Amino acid sequence: MVETFLRATLLGVQLGMTLALIAAGLTLIFGMLDVINFAHGALYMLGAYFGAVIAVNLGSFWLALVLAPLLVGLIGAAIEVLSLRPLYGRNPLYHILLTFGFAIMIQGAIVQIWGGQARRIAQPDLLTGTLSIGSLNYPIYRLFVLVVSTVLIAAVWLAIDRSNLGILMRASAHDTEMVDALGINVSKVFTSVFVFGAVLAGLAGVLLGASRSVNPGMGMGIIIEAFVIVVIGGLGSFRGAVYAGLLIGLVTAYGALIAPTLTDLFLFGLMAVVLMIKPNGLFGTTEAA
Amino acid sequence: MSALDYLRQRNTPRTGNQILSRSGRLALLVGIAVLAALGPVVQSVQPFWLNLLVRMLTFALLALSLDFVFGYAGLLSFGHAAMYGAGGYAAALLVTEVTASALVVLPLAVVTGVIVATIIGWLSVRARGIYFAMLTLAFAQMLYVVAFTDLPATIAGMETVTGGDNGLYGIQLYELFGIDFRERLNYYYLTLGIVALSLAGIVRLANSPFGRVLQGIRENEERTEFIGYDVQRYKVIAFAISGGFASLAGALYVPFQSVANPQLLHWTVSGELVVMVLLGGMGTFWGPMLGAGLVVFLEDRLGSVASWEVILGSLFVAVVIFAPRGLAGSIIALRNNPRAAIGNAKRALENYVRKVRG
Repeated sequence: MVETFLRATLLGVQLGMTLALIAAGLTLIFGMLDVINFAHGALYMLGAYFGAVIAVNLGSFWLALVLAPLLVGLIGAAIEVLSLRPLYGRNPLYHILLTFGFAIMIQGAIVQIWGGQARRIAQPDLLTGTLSIGSLNYPIYRLFVLVVSTVLIAAVWLAIDRSNLGILMRASAHDTEMVDALGINVSKVFTSVFVFGAVLAGLAGVLLGASRSVNPGMGMGIIIEAFVIVVIGGLGSFRGAVYAGLLIGLVTAYGALIAPTLTDLFLFGLMAVVLMIKPNGLFGTTEAA
Repeated sequence: MSALDYLRQRNTPRTGNQILSRSGRLALLVGIAVLAALGPVVQSVQPFWLNLLVRMLTFALLALSLDFVFGYAGLLSFGHAAMYGAGGYAAALLVTEVTASALVVLPLAVVTGVIVATIIGWLSVRARGIYFAMLTLAFAQMLYVVAFTDLPATIAGMETVTGGDNGLYGIQLYELFGIDFRERLNYYYLTLGIVALSLAGIVRLANSPFGRVLQGIRENEERTEFIGYDVQRYKVIAFAISGGFASLAGALYVPFQSVANPQLLHWTVSGELVVMVLLGGMGTFWGPMLGAGLVVFLEDRLGSVASWEVILGSLFVAVVIFAPRGLAGSIIALRNNPRAAIGNAKRALENYVRKVRG
């Protein structure tokens, strides 16, 4: 009994941190650019596919883990410069729609290029096998994902909170004109925020592609989960995304113990309840709506 | 009143601030007449295309229902699949278990949709903007899970209610005054008639004092509240009406396809619906219907081209960037000033390039 509970908790925390990693990019882009990025799931999926191709052709998981997110970042840069940039200042609704268009497009392109069947990124030899703590067996790769996600999230958090770039990003989001008047190219700051979010999505894609499967449905599946997290946490709140990610991870893991088929129902129910009690999410501000 | 005064009065554009001007209504009437006349022609040339037309019409009705809350009350519903699917499942269950009479099933399906929409609307309207969209999405996804796992059967201890993953199939076609709807032309006319009636009803509603209040809410919620209208209640009622029409579309679609599966309720349906409405141009009624018809048509025609999603996605992205008011906006601009069209397009492109350069 205790063991099952412990296993579920560990699983929930790991799931929660990876979800938080995906939601972090989403919430950063919203917080700084005011853009609800519906293409985030598609970028995550692209990361997984790029990762799979690189891992097979170059034979290295580690190369895939570095190169694939960078490629996704390049695509993110193209999307931001060519389509989002001309739209800033318009009703935020148009950003949702625009990125939804990209989500459809990338989804179609992936099926077109790589076909419909699922594939898998091979886990590196170093990380295969399981770890035994007492009677509890746990796959090493999962532990690796947990550690990497946690470190990344902590790094991003610190970067936004402390580094000069982070301060610049927040300042640009807060008062675009003022930062512009100081002689800083705000356009470039905005592009780097979007690229950064895309890289995080791509990274999560490679990480999860090696433990789950890489398939054309993964983007649309994850984006809704990521939205649930971002909305529960409060749009634009990084802290909220991390806490909500953990919450959702745990709810999913415990829910799987009670009624595995109904975990989605718990998630959406949780989101509905949170929004009905706090219409702007747990850590959201009223401006976000 | 002299005859001249009378004529003057008649000529003043008193319909100027109506949702659809007199010429707009005339155009729609002509459109419906053309569609009605087209039926037998299509039937004799390529009967299969009648299926496509029926599908286009049901999606036009669905887009119309979304435009009523989105374009007029400013409520971005990202969960319209909930009512569409509820209507579809209601129709499927009624036809298989109770009766196939359209006079019973269609109204009951509408009632189901209204009930579902009232509950979702009542629980969601306190949230605004994106949060409202996400709440409607959440409730729709909950219904999807309920249908997918066949939760009603588990709770009621029955073998099957929604049919779970597989859905319900072999749904019979409607009965109505002894008309044989297996004859596709007849089903086409049934759909066309219902869509036309729904359109007339929605236009009347939008032009009524009720519709004016909805537009007031869209333009300035605080002010409308301050004047003394119960904004939340208006929103819930608008959502419920919209849900009724959405479920009507579902109830028309399901017996025609003879299947009701959870896919009807999936959020991608809601997403595509929003694409259709925006592509057509929200807030005009005819625009979204046109958008829906166009998307369904292209999907069918280009479906064999594997990159259909790439085409739809690119088309949509281009429309969002260059024609934010959708096809309807472009058509209106073109009609008002055909000569400026090339100049406008050039200016839009220059504007775009300037902004991309930053």
